[in-house]
Amino acid sequence: MAVIERDLIKFKRNPIVIAMSILMPVLYLVILGNSFQGKLTDLPVAVVNQDTGPYAKRVMENLRAIQAGPKTFKITNLSSEGEAVNGVKEGRFKAAFIIPGDFSKKMSLQARPEVGLFLDNPDSISAETIRNLLNAAMLSIRSGYVPIRDKAGEVLLRDINLYPKVDYYQSLVPGVIIMAIFLGTLTSGVFNLVMDRFLGIEESYLLTPLSKAHIVSGLVISGLSITTVIAAIITVTSMLLTGIPLTRGWERFFPFFAVVVLTTLCLLSLMFVILGRARHPRIVGILSGFLNVILFFPSGAIYPVESFPGWLKAFAKCNPEVYSVHALKSILFKNAGMASISGDILFLSLFTIVLMTIAILTFKRTL
Amino acid sequence: MQKGKAIVVSDITKKFGPIAAVDHVDFEVDEGEFFGFLGPNGAGKTTLIRMLTTLLRPTSGKAIVSGCDVTEEPAEVRKRIGVVPQAMTSDLDLTGHENMDLYGRFYGIRGRERKERIRYLLEMVGLTQRANDLVATYSGGMRRRLEIARVLVHRPPLLFLDEPTIGLDPQSRRVVWDFLKKLIEGDSMTIFLTTHYMEEAELLCGRVGIIDAGKIIALGSPSALKADIPGNDIVSLKVGNLSPELVRSIGELPFVHKAIAEENSLRVYVDNGSKNLPVLIDDVRQAGGTILSASVHEQSLEDVFIHHTGKTIREEEVKKVSFLLGAGVPQRFGR
Repeated sequence: MAVIERDLIKFKRNPIVIAMSILMPVLYLVILGNSFQGKLTDLPVAVVNQDTGPYAKRVMENLRAIQAGPKTFKITNLSSEGEAVNGVKEGRFKAAFIIPGDFSKKMSLQARPEVGLFLDNPDSISAETIRNLLNAAMLSIRSGYVPIRDKAGEVLLRDINLYPKVDYYQSLVPGVIIMAIFLGTLTSGVFNLVMDRFLGIEESYLLTPLSKAHIVSGLVISGLSITTVIAAIITVTSMLLTGIPLTRGWERFFPFFAVVVLTTLCLLSLMFVILGRARHPRIVGILSGFLNVILFFPSGAIYPVESFPGWLKAFAKCNPEVYSVHALKSILFKNAGMASISGDILFLSLFTIVLMTIAILTFKRTL
Repeated sequence: MQKGKAIVVSDITKKFGPIAAVDHVDFEVDEGEFFGFLGPNGAGKTTLIRMLTTLLRPTSGKAIVSGCDVTEEPAEVRKRIGVVPQAMTSDLDLTGHENMDLYGRFYGIRGRERKERIRYLLEMVGLTQRANDLVATYSGGMRRRLEIARVLVHRPPLLFLDEPTIGLDPQSRRVVWDFLKKLIEGDSMTIFLTTHYMEEAELLCGRVGIIDAGKIIALGSPSALKADIPGNDIVSLKVGNLSPELVRSIGELPFVHKAIAEENSLRVYVDNGSKNLPVLIDDVRQAGGTILSASVHEQSLEDVFIHHTGKTIREEEVKKVSFLLGAGVPQRFGR
């Protein structure tokens, strides 16, 4: 009985733990509930309409109706097929939809016209949604102009996967790598500082000539070394287990390594800003679950960012894990080079510089 | 730079909220001096040492340590001092040698010199055999010796020790004292020590300051401090035929402050008890008394300390704890 009482008294004296025990399930519900199975909106689709005929106009009207109604995709009209396909390859569009010049003519002749659809298939959920919607749009123009029984007027939607097929388990690999990086950064870097404070060891190096920048950067670089090794082991293991080919060449290794290093630095700096003044490992314990939920699940690692509600999309714009997941997916599944992930690299670099500066400035060199 | 002065403190104050832990304190420590601060728990010793070693910013006042202002040139101060804090700060996950080696690297001491210095210091503190063991396996005394050796790696001219023998057994305490004496004699270091062990201050320090409630209430050499409180040596005499006349005549002697008769013994409060004992015995005999036994209790620094600080236990400042994270989480240690 005394043991139970002792434990209950101690629990009662930790109000923040009690509050987090109640709030965390609510938070998990809000974040997780909005991170999965949401309705996809504003998927960027490039449309190249090479036909001036009435049927093509009807198709475009249908697409604009989808854009205005359910808002599943957002159309960008382009004139060149090459530009549209490159746009998909570079990650600016989720798909390129091509209406050929003879589309209306073939429709009138009931000659079964073809339209082209180039898909960013590694994002299988978005690709499938776009394919289904465009199929429906094609069916509706046929029903409007051609009797339903007349098979000759059917449009053939020729969809082309731009990349090798990615199965479900393979699609999880970038997320697994990011999760490994997150856990690595949580158990190294600033965590060691918090432990030193808790054990009273911190005073010994605060008394030396080490500057703020020395202490912060030293801890960050040691965290980087540990986390990079963890990420490397997880990457190789998960690629072997899911059958992603390891032979991507050195030109792909460098961007991959850059993303891992920058993601690690980003998260280490973020942890430093948040936990730089914490004096007890209990704070790290409380915040680790919270940070994992708000950073990882809305990162696009499992479900596309386009399915999030507006507020979560806005948060995703400043969530570094979103950029890391995007970059890793591009490298692993699209064989993308540095040019395709330059936006991600730029964001991660800026985020790191800003947060590292804040971490150094806010680090307290006195007790 | 103030030549010849290792520490110059002018009107320094540190407030935590409305409470002044250190209250307008002034003192100086000469180079090569072994200086000690005595004070009860919560007197402000640790706060003072933390201000002098740049860990806390003074609320007001000024302190020059090794020629540098602690507020304006903290990095320079840190280069010139060695500090052994009150809490054990050696890393338990590292070996004794690793602790020393990393510390040396924090000061930018290069390979060969660092290696030689560490070997010498470990030998000095008797830890050579255990140098490659984890500090977690060390006893309290070994850990404290390692920490003293560690702060000497960069040859600081000024050493701060905050209650260095607290919690150590008498043997370990003596080893630490012998080592500190060697430092002050052999290496001409200046040592600033805080303690509440009277014998430690008396044995080691050339000068002692007594601090209470954040203020210095007495300052001088242990003998001078004792001399400042006259009549605290007690001579106890067992006298065979004690009479009121004898007691009165003893009480009239010039070096006697008070004579109290208790059954067949006499307690006499005198100046300089050892010196005046033969005179006192002669006088008792001349007054017709028979001496059966005699003993002298000379006043100690503890008497001086109690004289200045009183016998009441201090109302110590309540430690701040984080009630959000749990009442058992102190926000600051050892203030």
